[in-house]
Parts: sequence; structure tokens; C-alpha cells
Amino acid sequence: MKNNIFFILFSLVFLINTNINAQLSEDFIPKDAVTVFSINNIALLKKVSMDELIQYDFMTEVQAELFDGSTSGKSLKDSGIDFDQKLNVFYGKNQDYEVAGFSFGINDKMKLFTVFDDFERQETQIKGIELYSSYFNHLIIKGNIGMVLRVDPTYEKISVLTDSIWMARGYGYFYDGYDNSYDEKLIEPDDEEEESMKEDGNFQEEEIFEETEEMLDSISSENLNDFDLMNKNYWEMRDSITNELQYDYFVKILDEIYLNNIHLKNNDEKFASQLLHESDGIFYLDNSRNFNNAKGLWYFQSIMPELYTDFQQLYTGNVMLGDIMLNENSVDIYFEANYGESLGTIYEKLNGTKFDKNVLKYIHQNSTGFFTYNINLKEGYNQAYDIIIPILSQEKDPRVSSNVLMAELINEFVDVDAVFDTYKGSMFGSFNGIKKVKTTKIEFFYDEETFEYGEKEIQGEEDMPIFTLGFSTNRSDIPEKVLNHFGRMTSRFKNMGTYWIIEDAIFNSVPLYIISNNDLLIFTNDEDLAKNHNAGYGSQSLKGPKAKAAKKSKFMYAYFDWGLALNNLPKEMFDTKQNEILDAMRGKSGVIELKSSKTTKEKTSFDVSYKFEGDFENSGKYLLDLVNSIYVLSK
Amino acid sequence: MKKLFFLLFLPLIFTSCIEIIDDISINSDGSGNFKYVVNLSDSKLKVNSILALDSLDGKKVPSIEEIKNIVAEYQDKLEQKEGISNVKVETDYVNFILKFQCDFKSVNDLQNAIKEIAIEKDRKQELKEMQENWLSWDGSKLIRSVPTLTTETTQKLKKEEADALKMGTYTSITRFDRLIDKVENPKATLSKSNLACMIKTNPHALIQNLSILENTIYLTNTKKPQ
Repeated sequence: MKNNIFFILFSLVFLINTNINAQLSEDFIPKDAVTVFSINNIALLKKVSMDELIQYDFMTEVQAELFDGSTSGKSLKDSGIDFDQKLNVFYGKNQDYEVAGFSFGINDKMKLFTVFDDFERQETQIKGIELYSSYFNHLIIKGNIGMVLRVDPTYEKISVLTDSIWMARGYGYFYDGYDNSYDEKLIEPDDEEEESMKEDGNFQEEEIFEETEEMLDSISSENLNDFDLMNKNYWEMRDSITNELQYDYFVKILDEIYLNNIHLKNNDEKFASQLLHESDGIFYLDNSRNFNNAKGLWYFQSIMPELYTDFQQLYTGNVMLGDIMLNENSVDIYFEANYGESLGTIYEKLNGTKFDKNVLKYIHQNSTGFFTYNINLKEGYNQAYDIIIPILSQEKDPRVSSNVLMAELINEFVDVDAVFDTYKGSMFGSFNGIKKVKTTKIEFFYDEETFEYGEKEIQGEEDMPIFTLGFSTNRSDIPEKVLNHFGRMTSRFKNMGTYWIIEDAIFNSVPLYIISNNDLLIFTNDEDLAKNHNAGYGSQSLKGPKAKAAKKSKFMYAYFDWGLALNNLPKEMFDTKQNEILDAMRGKSGVIELKSSKTTKEKTSFDVSYKFEGDFENSGKYLLDLVNSIYVLSK
Repeated sequence: MKKLFFLLFLPLIFTSCIEIIDDISINSDGSGNFKYVVNLSDSKLKVNSILALDSLDGKKVPSIEEIKNIVAEYQDKLEQKEGISNVKVETDYVNFILKFQCDFKSVNDLQNAIKEIAIEKDRKQELKEMQENWLSWDGSKLIRSVPTLTTETTQKLKKEEADALKMGTYTSITRFDRLIDKVENPKATLSKSNLACMIKTNPHALIQNLSILENTIYLTNTKKPQ
């Protein structure tokens, strides 16, 4: 009995310890990953079963990809992947290499190799892991966790190394004499060339194969010394360096993760804390490292390192973190844009403006979709000027210095107030569905006597999406000056008193209307708005909860009624199959809403919510129906 | 051949409200004038929006410049054909109207010219449709039909595209310098002057039944009054 109790206690302690120490799939994400999307399969699959999932049209393609095109009798369930663990997809880039891949749990290694059937076992010095490779892709398995990894050295790194070795050997700067016109010829062969290429295809392949065989035969062990490895041409050397770097960086990442336990989760607290969220999926995007590794800044970093460091500091802490939640009647995405204090003060000033209530007058209460965007460009400009100009002014580089001077002179000489009073930065847009718009068309008429025909211009009608885009302004006199000028230059610009009309402005067919009223400059193809509501929709304008939400949401708000849009879109726009799928969605309403929080020096939060009602089992199922509809429509 | 007819019927794929006029004038000596008009002005918004795309349904959308080059290429080729003269092409890329016309010495010259161009474009492959004639003139009667390849090309249209063609019009006019005695196609109407015959249909009906345009027109010996 005593023994039994000890055994049970020991087992419990062992199990608890094992669980605490057990590594999870999210522990196998390289620290260089800049973007991560982690899917919580456990929560997700409670909402949609694997059996349901594999029935979808889009899954056929996913499974075909997994099983090399042969899906006979195989589904995602047969992949050996453990769906009780998170699936983490990652991508990252630093100045030496790019890294991409995903980590996942494994419940059946045998089955896993029906998916990774072209991966071959490799030797590795690291104990406790299995390494498999297929060309440049690697699969590393430790315990019941797998990671698929690809590492590629950056183009710049390869170029610098190759060029320096090339020049150290006494050659000059390598120029490959690339002729672009040759490419153009290759891209568009004429019909006859294309045909002869097709006809000759097999012959050429055989010829190349034979030549390669001959070349390999000639490099036998006896004459290997004659093949001077030290005298490779530029491209051969470049290939060798690429392979070597690829291997080195791959080993470096393996050592970091599997020997030294260095990975993104223990390297970035924000990411680690995000992983603790009990959402259905999380995402992570480190913009500050994107700035550090931006391709165009490489030169900038080498030539002006101090300035680069200053800007790097400006970007420090710029990380986006998000959660995806599948609720009963909605899909919600919460995300935070985090940034450092300097950049934060610019954003704070930029977004710290009052909502322009005038925009609500021009959004119809039944609008299918609209957005409002409130920024104060003048404040943002002044703050950016105060922060960025001092950084640039410290730089002694003559080009930077002259650009700083130019910026300072423009700031002094140009009436900055007039510029930012004309274009304040705030704007709105709305989509009012599809309407018939008037166009002109040519019609032929026949003389009954001779059947000779002539042509006459008559009015026609075509379906067109109706959009409105408006900008807040305190200086409507300035755009008026521009419009008056064009009105004098061409008859296509017509002043209609309360609005302007530009004939045939859209696709050479449909007029564009410009309204300058209520401190707004509005562009629209909605004739009704221009002619009958140029002072606003009045009692029909946006009000109630949607208007309140737009006012409350600080710098950005967007609303789109997908259900309404679908009901209003003419069925003739789609073919029979598309209509069948859309009919399934037509029974359900769906509203997408984006709200933003007040911008502080540290962050701005966003909340994207997709609410739906109608006949559906649960949100996961609804979402997959939607994904499937979009997939079938785009096929 | 297939390409040529594809080009002629390309507008059908692009649009529903299309107007096509084919107009042939035959003199007593067998010479004449052929006109072909494609009017897409009722769908110019749709055509413009398609032209703004790089590709549609996985196929490259030609630019206006490329369309101009294709038109010029066909014009050049036709001008060089035996028995063909005064080739004129008028294009209006604002309203999307194409007007083509040429003179021919005989209906055979016109047919041969079209066939030769079709063979050149289709990599010199002989097609069985090359054997058939769509026009036959013996001095007192004209027999008209529509090439079967037209059906093959247009039958590839999706049902919705084909249905939409019901909105369009197809007008076939045949003119003579002598009075018409009688016509075999009951859908054909004669002009008051009795010198021209017209069949009006829509592109959809034409696709469904090519014989709509088939006609045999018998002439009298009475010349057109001066």
C-alpha cells in the first residue's frame, strides 16, 4: 500500500515536471523571426471538426500540396501533425539571412513522412534531434515537435563576400554585361518561336543532359587536380559562397535553438506574453527590426552610421501584436500598434484631432460601407519637424546637410498654414452600392428606303459602383481656384453653381462631381448627391449608433455591411456557380467594423470585428464558409 | 482561321450590348464593297474597366495600343491580297466603334483574302473550314451563309455570357445594283427601293442557329434607277 502511494505520488510529480519542462511548438521559432502567426488548433478545432474541415473545396488544394498532388484516401488527418499543439508560421530577415518556416506538434512520425516523403535523413552533431533535408528545406524533429526551416543568405551579403574575394584574387569589379533587351525577347517569343521551342523542348533537354554527363565523366578522380577549384569563374564562386553561407547560418540557428535554447519566445517578452493569450490565434510583427533590416537602408547604415542609429532609436519598440477570436456571432481581431516615445509623440499629435462632424452629413444612413479618418497633418508635421530635423542637423554629410537646409527654407518660405488648412489630413469615404449611371452611346439608324444607315448619339445607362471621397479643408477657395483654371482651359470642367462636373472623367465614360461645401472638398460619381444633396443628406444622413461609433473611434473608423452589399449587387454581375455560392452567403448578414483607440505616446489599439447573423452552426463554420466562398469565386 | 474569328467575335466575350453590322454590296459584274461595323459604345464603361486590367480570367487583356497594332496588321495584310482594294479602317476608341470596309473584284477574291489571312495567322495550317464558301454569286443569285467556325468559337462562351448577348443586335445587309426578285429566308426584309435586303437578329440567336442568316437572293434584270 505504502509502495503504491509512493509510486502514485512519484508518477504525479514526474508527470507535472514533465509537463512543465516539456517543450511546445512555439519554443521552436528562431529569434530572427520578425513576423509570426500562431494558430491555436485546440481552440479552433473545437469549433470546426477535422472531418468538416477536410470537406471544404479549398482544403483539396491544401491537401494536394501536402501530399504532392496525390490526395487519394489522404487528408490532413493523415499528415501525422498533432492538432493539440499550436501551429506557428514564421518569417524573418536580418542583414545576413532570411529565415522562413513553421513549427508544429507531431503525433505520428510515420504518417508525417508521407507528407515529407522527399526529405532524407542527415547527420547532425546535435544530440536529441533528427535532421532531414530536401534541397534547401530542412525538417528538424525533437521529441514530438517538428520545425520546417529554410535559411537563405541575403543577396547583399553574398554580393559583398563574392565581390571582395573576387577582387582580392586580382580581378577588377565584376560586370556581367547583362543585356535587358535579351530578356524582353525571351519573355515574349512570337508564336512561331514559341511553337518551335515547344517542338524542340525534348531535344534540348536531352542535349543538355548529355553535355552534363560528358562534363561529369571528364571530372573523374584521376583528372580532378586538373579541374582547378581555385579558379572558379565569378558565378561558380558565388554559388559556392551561397551554399556555404546557407549551411553556416542554418547551423547557427540550429545551435541557437537546440543547443543554447535561444528562440523568439525567450528573446522577446512581448511575444512570450502574447502567446499566453487564450485566443484562437495570435500574430506578431516587429516593425523595428523590419526597419533595421530594410534593404534600402544598408547603404545608409554604412555611410551614415550615427544617423542610422538615431533613426533606429526612433523606431525602437515598434511592434504590432494581435489576437484573433472566434466568438459565437463574431470574429474579432484585436491588435496594438506599439512604438517608442519619439515616434509616439508624432503619432499622438498627428491623431490628436477632433472628429469633423460635417462628414456625417455626406454619408447616407443606408450606406453599405464608409470610413472616417481623422488626422491633424499640421500638428503631425510640426512635431515630426521638431524631432527629425534636429537628428538630421547633427549629420555632417553634405547631401543630408543640404537637404536639411532645403527643408528649413521651405518651412520658412512656404505658407505652411495655407498648405495644411487646404489639406488638413482628415477624410472620409463611402460606398453606396451599385447604381445606374448615365452614359452616352452611339446608335445606328436605318433608312427604310435604302437601308443606308447613319449614327446618332443617345443616352444610355450602365451599372456602376457609387463612391464618395471627401477631404476636410479650411481653404475651399484654393481648390476653387484650380477648378476655375481648368474650367477656362477645357469644356469638360463645368461649374454648375453648387457643384462642379468633370465630363467623362471615369473610364472616359462617366462624369465625376466635385462639391465644395461645409469645409469639405468632395469627389463623387453619385449624381444624386451632387445635384440634390450638395449641402448634405439632411434627415437621411448618418446618425444613431453608427454615427456615434464613428465619432467615438478616435482616428479611424470603418464600417462595411457585407450582407447588404451582397443583396444590392446585381445577380447579372456573377455567373451561375458564383451566384449559387453567394446565395448561400446571402441568407446571412455580415458587418465588418474597425475601431481605433485614442493614440497615446506608447500605442494605438484597433479592434476589427466581423459580426454576422443568420443560419450557421458556429463562427468557425461561418468563417470557413466565407473563406470557401472567396476561394471558389477567385478560382 | 480560329484566331481570326476569335478576333472578330472577341467583343462578344467582352460585352453584352454589342451591335454588329455586316453590309455587302454586289455589282452585276460580281465586284463590290464589304463593310463590317462593331459598336460597343453601349458598354464602353465595361470595356474601359476591362482594358484597365492586366488580365481577365487568366488571359492577358490587350492595351489600346496593342489593339491598334492588330487592326493595322490586318489592314496591311488585306491590302496586299489579290482583288482587294481601298481597305479602310475607322476606329473610335472613345466609343469603341470599329468600322472596316474594302472593295473586292469578286466575291471569291473576298473569300480567298479572308481565308489566306486566317491560314497565315493559324501558322499555315489547313483547316477543313477552308473548303467551305460562305458567299456564292452566279450573276443572278447570291447565296450567303455563316462560317461554321463562328459557332465553334462562340459556343465556348459561358452560358451567362451567351445569355447576355440577347441584348445585342446583329444586322446583315446585302445590296445590289439590280432589283431583288425574291429571297428565301423568311426573316429577311426588303428595302422600299427593292435594292437591299436586311436580316436583323441578336448575337445570341445567331450562335444558337447559324441558318438565321442563310439566304439565297434572286435578282431581276432591272437595273437600279439612276
